[in-house]
Amino acid sequence: MPLLDIKNLTLEINNGAQSIKALDKINLTVNAGEIRALVGESGSGKSLIVQAIAGATPGNWHLTADRMSWNGENLLSMSVEQRRKVLRKDIGVVFQHAIASLDPSVTLGEQLEEALPDELIDGKWFWQRAQQRRRAVISTVHKVGIKDHNQYLRAYPHQIPTDIGQKLMLAMALVNQPKMLIADDPTRGMETTTKVQVLKLLSRLNQTRSLGILFVSHDLLAISSMSHTMTVLYCGQTVESGKMKQIRKRPLHPYTKALLDSAPSFSKDLPPKSQLSTLAGTIPTLQHLPIGCRLGPRCPRAQRACVNVPAVRKIHDHSYSCHFPLHMEKI
Amino acid sequence: MINILLRYTILFTLTLLALSAMSFTLIYLFPADPITNLTGITPQNTIQHDALVRQYRLDSAYLIQFWHYLEQLFSGNWGYSLISGEPLKDEILYALPATVELSAYAMLIVVLIGIPIGCYSGLRAYTNADFAINSISVSVYSVPVFWLAVIFILTFSLQFGWLPLSGRLNLLFDIPNHTGFLFIDILLSNEPDKSLAMRDALLHLILPTLSIACISTAAIIRVTRRSIIDVLNQPYITAAKARGLTNRQIFFRHVLRNALLPILPLMAMQITTLITNAMIVETLFSWPGIGNWLIQAIYQRDYSALRIGMLAVSTLVVIITIAIDLFNRLIDPSREKFESVTI
Repeated sequence: MPLLDIKNLTLEINNGAQSIKALDKINLTVNAGEIRALVGESGSGKSLIVQAIAGATPGNWHLTADRMSWNGENLLSMSVEQRRKVLRKDIGVVFQHAIASLDPSVTLGEQLEEALPDELIDGKWFWQRAQQRRRAVISTVHKVGIKDHNQYLRAYPHQIPTDIGQKLMLAMALVNQPKMLIADDPTRGMETTTKVQVLKLLSRLNQTRSLGILFVSHDLLAISSMSHTMTVLYCGQTVESGKMKQIRKRPLHPYTKALLDSAPSFSKDLPPKSQLSTLAGTIPTLQHLPIGCRLGPRCPRAQRACVNVPAVRKIHDHSYSCHFPLHMEKI
Repeated sequence: MINILLRYTILFTLTLLALSAMSFTLIYLFPADPITNLTGITPQNTIQHDALVRQYRLDSAYLIQFWHYLEQLFSGNWGYSLISGEPLKDEILYALPATVELSAYAMLIVVLIGIPIGCYSGLRAYTNADFAINSISVSVYSVPVFWLAVIFILTFSLQFGWLPLSGRLNLLFDIPNHTGFLFIDILLSNEPDKSLAMRDALLHLILPTLSIACISTAAIIRVTRRSIIDVLNQPYITAAKARGLTNRQIFFRHVLRNALLPILPLMAMQITTLITNAMIVETLFSWPGIGNWLIQAIYQRDYSALRIGMLAVSTLVVIITIAIDLFNRLIDPSREKFESVTI
C-alpha cells in the first residue's frame, strides 16, 4: 500500500469574481522508501500540491479529490486536529521560502524543539526531558550539515544566511523522524557543494531509514541522480508519471520530452553555440487557462482532439495523459 | 544595548531642548511684556521692571537668556500664574498627576478590552461576529469624544443618578495632596473611613475613564484585528500548521507575539490621541487635570501658565512615546540593533 495516495485532486481557488481550477485531477502516489520527484516549471502548481497535502489551505481554496489518503486513512475527511497529529507524527514538510517559514520572533533552537513531538522524549523529570530535547535537536542539526549549532540555534531567522535557513527547515522536518518527507525545492539557490551534501543526506536517509520522499524541484540534474520515480506537472495537470529510467529513455508526453531536452546536460551531442531547445510561448497564467489539454497551444503535436482533456492511460506503471503520445511504436 | 539606550537618551535630550526653545520663544511671541510672560509678575514700576529684567538676564543675548531660562526650569523656578499668583510648579504638580491618572486607567481599559476583542475578531475574520465587532468599533470610533461624554453625563448622572456628575472626589472628603495620585493620597491621608473615600473616588473615575477609553479601544480593536489577520497569512504560520502544532500552540507561541509587536508603536500614537481626549473630557467633568487647567489659562490669558503648560504636556507625551519605542526596540528581535532611532 502506498504511503501517500492521491487520485484526481482538484483545487479551485475562488478569487471572488470566479473560481479558477489551479490543480486539475492530479494523481500522485508515494510508496514507502521511494523518492518521488515532482517536476514542472514555475507556476505549474507544485507548491500548491505541497500546501494541499500539508493541510495549510487558505479559506478561499476548495479541495476535492477522489482519494487522498495517508497510510489508508482519508486525509480529506479527518478533522483538523487528527490531520495535524498525522503531520506531527509521520510527515515532515520543507517549504519553499525557508526564512519566511520561520517565526521571526522565536529563536531557531526553540522552534526546532517545538517541532519535536513528546512521544520521542522519554525522561522522567522535566530537566531530563529538556536536556534530551536539546540533544535530539543538536544531533539533527549536525545531520543536516550545520556544524556550529551554538551560533545558529540561538539566532533569530533574520540573522542567518538563506542556505542555513534551508538546512534548518530540513532539520525541522526531520526532527520528528517522519515516514515521509515532502521537500519543496529544498536546494533552491544553494551552491553546488552544499546542494550535493543535502541531496546525499536525503538519499542516505532514504536508504537507511526507508524514508519516503516527495522531492519537488525543477533541478533535473539533481532529480535524475537520486529519485526513483517522477511525476511531471504542467499547468496544474499531471502529464506523465512513471519510473525515472523509463521516462528519461522514452518520454511519452511531448511536454516531458521538451522538459528533458531543455536541460543541456541531458543532451550530450549538443553542438557548441547551437540554440537550446525550448517550447514556444510561456506557461499560461491561472486567469487564462486553455480548455482541454492545457499544453495544447504550445504543443508541437497538438491536433483537434486536444480541446478535450485526455484520459489517463497506463502502460505497466508508466501513466501519461496525451492524445498523441511519442515513441508509441517502440512499446 | 548600551548603544541603544545612549541613542534614545540623545534623542530625548534633543527633543526636550527643542521643546524648551519653543516655550522660550513664546515669551516674546505672546502679546504681553516679555518679563510678565516669563515670570508671571506684573511689575508695578520701572525700577521693579528693570530689576526683574536684570534678574532674569533678559537684557543679555538671546542664547544667554535661553541658557538662564533652562537653569531656572531645572531649579524648579517656573514662574507664577498671572491670575492666581501661585507658583506654577505647584499648580502643574497638582494638575498633571490627575491627567496621568485618568489617562493611565483609560489606557489600561483600552489594552485589557481592546486587544482581546481585536484578537477574537482577527481569528474569526470575515465571519458574522467579526463584522459585528468591526461595525461597532467603526461607529464608536467616529463618535466625537465631547459628545460621548455629554451623553454619558445625561444618561448615567442626570437620568439615572447612578454616578457623580463632576470632580474627582466628593467635597466632604479632605485629602491632602501628596503624590497627586488620588488613590495613593487616600491611603496616605488620615481620613477616618478610607474605603468610603476609595469607593467615592472610583465612582467619580468611571464616567471620564469610559468616555476616553471607548474611542481608543475602538481604534485598538481594528489595529489588532488587522495585525492578527496579517500574521495568520504569513508563511511561518502555514509552516507551524504543517509541523502539526495545535491551534492553541500556534496562537500563543507564534501569532500573538508577532501580531503585538507592530501594534506597540501604533499604541504610542494612540496615547497622544488619548491624552488629548483626556484634556477635553476633563473640561466636561471639571476634572482638576492639566487639560482643564490649560483651558482655564487660555480663557484668562494666563500667558506664563500657557508657556509652562505646553512644555509640561509635550514633555509628558515625548517621554511616553520614547519609552514605548524603546520598549518595543528591546523586545523585538527582528529590529536591527543599530538602526537609527526616531519618534
